[in-house]
Amino acid sequence: MGIGWLVIATLLALAGGGWGFLAMRGERSGRAGVWWMVGVFGAQLMALGWRGEMRGQCPLGDLGEVCLFLAWSLTLFYLVTGTAYRLSLLGVFTAPLVVVLQAVALVPGAFETEVVAAASVDPWREVHTSFSVLSYGALALAAVAGVMFFVLNYRLKSHKFGGGLVHGMPSIRRLVEAMARIAVVGWVILTAGIVAGLLMSGRNMNLHLLVATVTWVLYAVLLGIYFVRGMPGRSLAIGLTALFGLSLMVFAKL
Amino acid sequence: MKLICLGLNHETAPVGVREIFALSEAGLDRETESLLAAADVREGVILSTCNRTEYYAVVNGGSGVTELENWICEQRGYDGNREGVFYHFEAREAAEHLCRVASGMNSMVLGETEIFGQVKQAYKRSLEGGATKTVLNKLFQRAFGVGKKVRTQTRIQEGATSVAGASVELAEKVFGQLKGSSVMVIGAGEMSRKTARALQSRGASSVLVTNRSFDKAVDLAEEIDGRAIPFDGWEEELAHLDVVIAATGAPHFVVKPGHVEAVRRKRKYRPLIMIDIAVPRDIDPRVGEIEEVYLYDIDTLQEMADQARKRREEQLRVCETIIREEVDKAHLPGVTEES
Repeated sequence: MGIGWLVIATLLALAGGGWGFLAMRGERSGRAGVWWMVGVFGAQLMALGWRGEMRGQCPLGDLGEVCLFLAWSLTLFYLVTGTAYRLSLLGVFTAPLVVVLQAVALVPGAFETEVVAAASVDPWREVHTSFSVLSYGALALAAVAGVMFFVLNYRLKSHKFGGGLVHGMPSIRRLVEAMARIAVVGWVILTAGIVAGLLMSGRNMNLHLLVATVTWVLYAVLLGIYFVRGMPGRSLAIGLTALFGLSLMVFAKL
Repeated sequence: MKLICLGLNHETAPVGVREIFALSEAGLDRETESLLAAADVREGVILSTCNRTEYYAVVNGGSGVTELENWICEQRGYDGNREGVFYHFEAREAAEHLCRVASGMNSMVLGETEIFGQVKQAYKRSLEGGATKTVLNKLFQRAFGVGKKVRTQTRIQEGATSVAGASVELAEKVFGQLKGSSVMVIGAGEMSRKTARALQSRGASSVLVTNRSFDKAVDLAEEIDGRAIPFDGWEEELAHLDVVIAATGAPHFVVKPGHVEAVRRKRKYRPLIMIDIAVPRDIDPRVGEIEEVYLYDIDTLQEMADQARKRREEQLRVCETIIREEVDKAHLPGVTEES
C-alpha cells in the first residue's frame, strides 16, 4: 500500500476538517471530529511504518518523511490535548495544517525512492531526530491554539458573537491555558532532543543544533515571561505563532 | 369522556386577577380534592405558577368548559369580568397546549426551563393524591417526553434573553466556568442586583458591592450574600477581580483606562470582563482597548438578548411540528377519540 496510506490520511484529514467546519457553522458539537483524526492518526502510522521499514531506522531522512512525521506528531498531540481540554474544535484548525504538511510530503520527489536501509543505528541520533520533530508537533499545536485564540479574541473584542464559531469555541481562559501547557510540553521534548543531539557520536554543535538551541532559548524566554511576570493571552498567542512560523522557516532553509 | 383545559395566564389576565386564582401548595391539594368531588369530573391536575393557573380535567361527556369555569370562579370568589380572562381547550387542543406549556413555548420568557419542573410537580401532586387515572397519566407522561424532545431537538432554549443572562453568557465565554470567580458591582441598583445574582447562580463565589451611598451598598451586599466596600476603595480591589459590573447613576465615567493600567501587572494580565449597564455609561470605552479587557455596554447586551429571543421565536414552527407529530403518535384516550 505504501504511499496509499498517506493519501488516505490526507483525505481523512480533509474530510475531518470539512466535517468539523460544517458542524461549527451549524452550531453543532464538533466532537465527532476527534474520530476523523483518529483515522488520520492510524493511516499516518501505517505510512510511517512503510518508510521506517525502508530505512531500517526512524523515518526522518528526507523532506517527505519530516513532513509526515511532523503531521503525525501534530495529530498525536491534538488527540491527547483535544480530548483532555475538550477542545474538539481544535481539530478544525489542526486538520488544515496536517493536510498542508502531508500535501508537501506527497509532492513527487519529497520522498526519496532509492533508499538504502541503515546498517547500524546511533540511538542518540534516533532520539534526537524523533524528539525534535515530536516537539515541533507540540509547538505547532500550541501555535494552532494561538490562532484559535486570535479568532475568538477578535470576535469577543469586536462584539461579533454570531455564527457557530464563537458558540463552539472553548473559553478564552481555557485557550490560554492550553497554549501555555502544550508549549511547555513541546519545550520539554525539545530539551530532550537537543540533549540527545549533543550526545550523538561524532557530532559537535552543528548549524541544525545551533538553530534548535536558539529556538529552545526563545521559547524558554517567552514561557518564562508568561509564567513569572504574566502576559496577556494575545501576546502569548503572537509569540507562539511567530516563533513556530519562524523556526519552521529557518529549518526549511537548512 | 372528554379532556378539557381551562386557565388564565400573563397574556390574558393582569396580576390582580392572576393572584386571585393562584394557589398555595396546601391550597392546591384542597382545590384538587374539591374538583374531583364536583360532579362529572373523573381526573384533575391543577398547575399554579406566578404566571398561570390551569386546570386539566377529564369530565363526563355532558359537562363542559362553562361548568368548570363557573365552578372555579365560585371557588375563588371571583365575580369580576371574565371576558378574555380565561382560555380553554378541549381534547387534542388541550393536549397540544399542555405540551407547549411543558416545553416553555407558552412562557413569558420563551423557552424557559423552570416551567417543566413546575408541570412535573403539579402532576406528581395529583398523582400522589389519587387525582389522575389513565387519561391524565398518559397525557402528562407524553407531555414530559415532548418537552424533553423539544428542548433537545430545537434551539428553543438557546441564548440568554435578558441583559443579566447575556452578561453571564459573555463571562462564560471568557472564563469558562464561573466557579470561584470574583465579581465587583459598582452601583447598588436593581440591574446590579439582577446581574450579580445571575453570575452567582453560575458559581461566582465572591461578590463585592460598592456605592457612593455606603448604606445602599451594605443593603445590597446583605441581600446577595456579598461584601460591601467603601466607594473610595474599589480601585484597590480591581487587582483581584474577574468581572466588574458598573451600574451607577453618575453623569461621568467612573472607571477609566488608568484604573486598569495601574493594576495590570499585579493581575498578571489575566482576562477581565467589564459589564457597563449604566446610561450614561460608567466605563470609559477606551478601557476596552486594553488587551485583556472585554468590555460590553447595555446596547451590546440588549442586542444579544434580542437576537436570542428572535432565534427562539424562529424555532416555534419546528416545535409545533414536533408537538403535532408526538400527539398523533400517542393515541391518547379522550384526545384522539371520544369515549
